[in-house]
Amino acid sequence: MFGYMKLAAVSAAALMAAQAAGARDLVIASWGGNYQDAQRGAYFEPFAKEKGIAFTETTYLGGLAELKTMAETGDVTWDLVIAEGADLQVACDEGLLEEFDWNAITGKDELMPDAVRPCGVGNVVIGTGLAFNKDTVGEAPTSLADFFNTEKWPGKRGMRTGPMFNLELVLMADGVAPSEVYNVLGTPEGLDRAFAKLDTIKSDLQFWDAGAQPVEWLAANNVVMTVSYNARITAAKRDGKPLDFLWANPIYSIDSWAIPANAPNKDLALEFLSYVNDASRQAAFSAQMPYGPTNVNAPGMMKPEDAAELPAGKNIETGLFFSDAFWTDHKDAITERWNNWVTQ
Amino acid sequence: MSKARSTLLAAAMLLVLPIAAYVALYLLPLVSIGGLALDNGTLSERFPTLSARFNDSAGVDDAAAAALLADLQAMPKKDRAEVGRMFNQELGGMRSLIIDTGNKAAGIAPTVAGLTAFNAAWGDPATWDVVRRNVEPITWRHFQKATGIKPAPGGGYQMAAGDDIYLRITLRTFVISAQVTLLTLLLGYPLAYAAATGTPRVQAVVLMAVLLSFWTSILVRTTAWVVLLQTNGLLNDFLIWIHLITEPLQLIFNRFGTVVAMTHVLLPFAILPMINVMKTIPAAQAQASRSLGAGPVETFLRVYFPQSLRGVAVGGGTVFILALGFYVTPALTGGPGDQMLSYYIADFVRKGLNWGMASVLSLMLLVCVIAMVVTGALLRRALGWNRATGGTA
Repeated sequence: MFGYMKLAAVSAAALMAAQAAGARDLVIASWGGNYQDAQRGAYFEPFAKEKGIAFTETTYLGGLAELKTMAETGDVTWDLVIAEGADLQVACDEGLLEEFDWNAITGKDELMPDAVRPCGVGNVVIGTGLAFNKDTVGEAPTSLADFFNTEKWPGKRGMRTGPMFNLELVLMADGVAPSEVYNVLGTPEGLDRAFAKLDTIKSDLQFWDAGAQPVEWLAANNVVMTVSYNARITAAKRDGKPLDFLWANPIYSIDSWAIPANAPNKDLALEFLSYVNDASRQAAFSAQMPYGPTNVNAPGMMKPEDAAELPAGKNIETGLFFSDAFWTDHKDAITERWNNWVTQ
Repeated sequence: MSKARSTLLAAAMLLVLPIAAYVALYLLPLVSIGGLALDNGTLSERFPTLSARFNDSAGVDDAAAAALLADLQAMPKKDRAEVGRMFNQELGGMRSLIIDTGNKAAGIAPTVAGLTAFNAAWGDPATWDVVRRNVEPITWRHFQKATGIKPAPGGGYQMAAGDDIYLRITLRTFVISAQVTLLTLLLGYPLAYAAATGTPRVQAVVLMAVLLSFWTSILVRTTAWVVLLQTNGLLNDFLIWIHLITEPLQLIFNRFGTVVAMTHVLLPFAILPMINVMKTIPAAQAQASRSLGAGPVETFLRVYFPQSLRGVAVGGGTVFILALGFYVTPALTGGPGDQMLSYYIADFVRKGLNWGMASVLSLMLLVCVIAMVVTGALLRRALGWNRATGGTA
């Protein structure tokens, strides 16, 4: 009986699955927006054409709710999903994802070592850092510390909802070296230090849920600076908006393709995992959506001006690699403290 | 005769069936939510030996350590990860501790000293506290987290500073709902009056305006307010253009933006019931009052207003209860200090995978609604409205 609510939660998804019962399309879940548009052009459509199959797309918003429900009801409505590292790790450990044999995947040798995961194929490198509107910011900020300078740059500041990414950026703004960030954050004093630093701009903070929000806020002059994903800013720049992304101490993290446990089209999904590792296809994706490729040969295949926008090479020399392991262990406790701090 | 009676009974049952089905469909989810809030089967079923051990004796001893290792070894690998994640909701680091201990259980001496030698965390009473509290089939931890009242280490209960977070959010939810209700009533009353008593043309215009807004999606109306109120939005541009202000005002991402947008979204729910009630108040009563010497203000206050209060109560109650559950509008127009309880419920379901906590917060919201309904009923009795004297409906 207690499963009733979980059942109700996916009734819509179950209905969709029932309609598509039998040999259904390859169902791919991704983050939507121009991210997914770029994936469609670089991967989904050419893959479907090559294999002579049809595919259906859906949106995934992070977290494990959908994967957990699929595993509990046995009604697996997705064949492929692209997830953040921390969610990938937890889902993999709990058996919500297929643990596949990497020997069956091609292109492994060309991938960054961090892209090779037990249940996931790392595919997209995301840069998270400071962005601003060149027309309205006045003098352009040059370091993360400028985010906290409310005298020189008065006005609201945007941050991602929740502690992840933010606390790392805060500590680096406070002078902690990237290599020390997680060591400091793991201690009670380090955590206090991060929140004390945040206290100095608390009344100016505004939190976003969707990656499109910081771009809109900057364009509409609702915030003077904001934490953002790098490619969203580049995409806006190409649309003629006067936005810029600061490559000082950015955080980079990897999104990985994974297969939900017992997915009906598992074999086809496995072929897709090899397909996305190809350097030229990753270069095509990154040219359209300037997140980094995980294939180390891909940047060399791109136009230099496109490659210069990626979270790779000298752009991430002062950067920090996001730690999935830290956050899977500390997310609950720190999120609780974060929420507490926000509501006080 | 008995046959006739049983036929009658069958017919009666058939008539009751739809109501019974309705009640069941309504109550089942409530019961399951309550169950989710307390149910700890996921954890307790996986620690049968340890659970029995803790039932027999209170202490953390070598037998408990052996029971823990035996249970962890008996568990499939993925269960250890799930158990670890749930423990981790209470104490950071528990996830990797459980996974690691489980994976290497065969090589660990089944004593407290052996466990502590493997990982010093097992020497910390706090670690065992979490394990011990959570191998029982029923858990109060979600309720404790929601109310902030936790068992103190030395017995009794305590409330640490800041632990009242969900109580504060509940209070905030109440305050925002009350602000919105008050505003919708103040704005809605004259509009409803115009729609109920104006010329047919006025009535049509007001009703159309209300219904158009009513039929537009909440998301669209909320986004429209973002466009109107933002820094370079229409309102700020206009105020600067007429030289009333020189710098744009912060009208959004704060309480002001939240309350304005929510008031607009909920206004029809206040106006429509008021129109209904006002239409039933005979115009002749006001004329009679005037002809007996009362002025327009006295006529309104003593004749019209008391009769329209029923509409105000229905409209206000509807708005308040709907406002309690709002999520999208505060998320888009409010600041971090304006998020309501539903925001946190969604967060626990979607990001935290913590259905127990989501259930408890839903129950808190439900209790608020029930409290409102009871208050409403008491108020109605105090004001002397009942079927006999209520008159209009």
